[in-house]
Amino acid sequence: MVFSADAITAPCAAGGSNALFCKNMATSLVRKTKLLSMVSSQLNSAACFRNIHCTAACLKNRAARIRVAKGDKPVTYEQAYHPHHIGHRKGWLSQHTSNLQGEDGAAERVVEDVFIRRFMYGTFHGCLADEVVIKRRGNLLLICAVMIQKLLPSKFYFLIGYTEELLSHFYKCPVKIEMQTVEEKVVYKYL
Amino acid sequence: MASSCSQALRHHVCKSIFFLLLLLILFIFSEEIVIPKKKTWSKEAVLQALASTVKRDPTASDYRFQDDPYLTPKTSSEFKLFSLSQESGRNAAKYFINTYPKYFQKDYAQPHIPCLMPDTLEAQIEEVSEAALIERIGMRKVKAAVDLYDQLLQAGTSVSLDVTNQLLDLICFYGDHDPAQENVPEQRNEETEDVQDEPQAKKGRAAKASDLLKATWKEKNNAERIFALLSEPNKHSYSALIRGMVKYGAYSKAFSTYTDLLNSRLKADMHMFNALITAAPEVKEKYNEKWELIVDLLKQMAEQKVRPNLLTLNAVLKALRRCGTVGKSQAFPVISEMKALSIDLSLASYTHLLAIFYKPGAPIQGQTDILQEVMNEVSGKSFTPQDPDDAQFFITAMRICLDTKDMEQAYRVHELLGVGENWRLLGNDFQQNIYYARFFSLLCMMENIDVMLKWYRDLVPSVYYPSSNVMRDLLQALDTDNRLDLIPQIWKDIKQLGHANRQNLVEELLTLMAREKHNQEVQESFAECALDIKKIYDTGDRGKVLLNWTAGSLSDLISVLLAAHRRQDAWDMLKLFKTHNRVPSEELLNKFLMCVKEGGEVNQAVELVQISAGFCLPGTPKLIQRVQQEFELTEQKMLSDLEIQSFNSE
Repeated sequence: MVFSADAITAPCAAGGSNALFCKNMATSLVRKTKLLSMVSSQLNSAACFRNIHCTAACLKNRAARIRVAKGDKPVTYEQAYHPHHIGHRKGWLSQHTSNLQGEDGAAERVVEDVFIRRFMYGTFHGCLADEVVIKRRGNLLLICAVMIQKLLPSKFYFLIGYTEELLSHFYKCPVKIEMQTVEEKVVYKYL
Repeated sequence: MASSCSQALRHHVCKSIFFLLLLLILFIFSEEIVIPKKKTWSKEAVLQALASTVKRDPTASDYRFQDDPYLTPKTSSEFKLFSLSQESGRNAAKYFINTYPKYFQKDYAQPHIPCLMPDTLEAQIEEVSEAALIERIGMRKVKAAVDLYDQLLQAGTSVSLDVTNQLLDLICFYGDHDPAQENVPEQRNEETEDVQDEPQAKKGRAAKASDLLKATWKEKNNAERIFALLSEPNKHSYSALIRGMVKYGAYSKAFSTYTDLLNSRLKADMHMFNALITAAPEVKEKYNEKWELIVDLLKQMAEQKVRPNLLTLNAVLKALRRCGTVGKSQAFPVISEMKALSIDLSLASYTHLLAIFYKPGAPIQGQTDILQEVMNEVSGKSFTPQDPDDAQFFITAMRICLDTKDMEQAYRVHELLGVGENWRLLGNDFQQNIYYARFFSLLCMMENIDVMLKWYRDLVPSVYYPSSNVMRDLLQALDTDNRLDLIPQIWKDIKQLGHANRQNLVEELLTLMAREKHNQEVQESFAECALDIKKIYDTGDRGKVLLNWTAGSLSDLISVLLAAHRRQDAWDMLKLFKTHNRVPSEELLNKFLMCVKEGGEVNQAVELVQISAGFCLPGTPKLIQRVQQEFELTEQKMLSDLEIQSFNSE
């Protein structure tokens, strides 16, 4: 039971004629919260330790896994191995130190990474052969990407110059792109 | 015995330890131990130390480019294209950043990095005031500043002399029109009337820069007008005006303004004198008069107690370049006087000195020691850019080395490039190309092939993309040193550099291959190379013909193929003579006949004779004789031969 305060205050704000109605609602609300606190304190007692789960379902069994299908779907190495293989058969796509003991800023790094991946996907549209790897060395943000030779080299350089400049100004740190090109997407297996 | 030995040893050791201790104690008590001062390292010391362990990688391309074979430039035009497209990407990003600055305001960086913030391009202060004028001057908006000044005067507010001087500086520096805005898309408006009309049919690149350079000082422009409005111009105002006039070519006006200055009994400053000295060669015709004017100016400078600086010296030397023989006699005295005033010479001074003594195109008359003296002075020193002409030093020095064929000095010049920060003074890509082209030509002329190839592998293509002329020089050098077996490798490089469509280069290559007989493997490699070249001659994609066959190139190619015993390929090539309307030479056909004899193909021999007859070559009867003698002909063939013979004799 999640009580949202706005649902209760909104009718109160509507007009003074609702004051009585609000007062009644408020008293019932107070009673309900008292009940809830009693219940949760009982729950937190030594007898039982199960708490209320309030988030959406995470589907950890289905994230980042491509399911085996007919056998005609080409899949890269990165896509073929599942997340539990990270550290064993796969490396990390994002490398920074904020997950170490005593370091902070992990959440900000994640948000930056998501933005950078979307930015690269959109700017080099259709050219990315594999996931972008983001490395942070001191102040420098290094974006390593493998591209398909879909565009002329001069167009690649235009986009590289544009991306580096824009992201540097956006994140206030030097951003460098290291690019490697392949003829076509490197297929690891067909699923 | 062992114990006694060990005892003796121990005794020895004890003795030596005792001795050392004694020494130490003596040392401590006899002298002070000097504890050295703590050394402070700069923050980048570790990085610099690490960087000093890494030399340039001759297999990598320039640092600007990505390290990928698809993305490395292989020719000089690709180099330019890729670096320009990267720059234009940056400009596109800057345009977005400056047009929508509100998305880039959040400042994560500690400490603050000002260059990563969006530029404020629009003037903030709107009202008509002096502060607004100062802001516009700071943002280099010439026209807006002038308009605001006029508005201020009309409104009656007086503008202080300082601010007016700043405004004059701005106008005179930019020649009364706005500097080219890099990030704003080009607007072809009709306001650029003060720019001379130049034919736009020329290449459009750097159109704005050349507009600016060719801009001349208009007759009644804003600078003069504002100057006239000043009630008491001080020397700063005069200085700005004179320097602007000299920069934009109004030399005589500059001198008349200077006379006005003297008449109003104001003192001149050093920048003014520098500008006037630069303008001096333009206003007088004869060498003597030019020199006298300069001396006059220098004397006035001394009278007014203005100290000359490096730019004065460089201006004098540059002017002396235009003074012919007077320059040669006066250059060294000038330098010694300046040295007496403890002005250190920069690379620009040396450039002017070399240019005075080594005029391009003039015959060298025993002046080789000047270059050597200059190199003696300059070697091992690291120079910082102090004068725009510093960038001319290396190409001038290399030109002189090329003209005087002095390899040793060339090596010294090249070594100087590696010292400290001197690489910055090599100039832009164009100047770099000139420098290396001259260096390579000199190497090809003077050094033997191994040294040449060592430099070639070191510098090409990571630093320099040779032009087709340089490749021809390289082929000549190979020829001189009898290393023609390297030709196939050079051909691969030529193809990669994009020079495979140069007619004379390819023809020269073929001639060199066909000239002499080599051993078997070399001939094989030549044949492969020749077949490769043949592919270039055939129609390229889309039917575009890159190269045209000539009789010489065809014959050379066939001779190469014959020398490697590729008779079938050579036979196919012989047909090309007819299709491209070229006439084969006699000796080619003779050579072919010899080859055919080795193979013993009688039909081919007869066909050869028929071809020869078809071209009505004068050597046909001899050819027929040879065929008749050397081959066993059947009746039919003898008949056809006789026919041809009779046909020819008619």
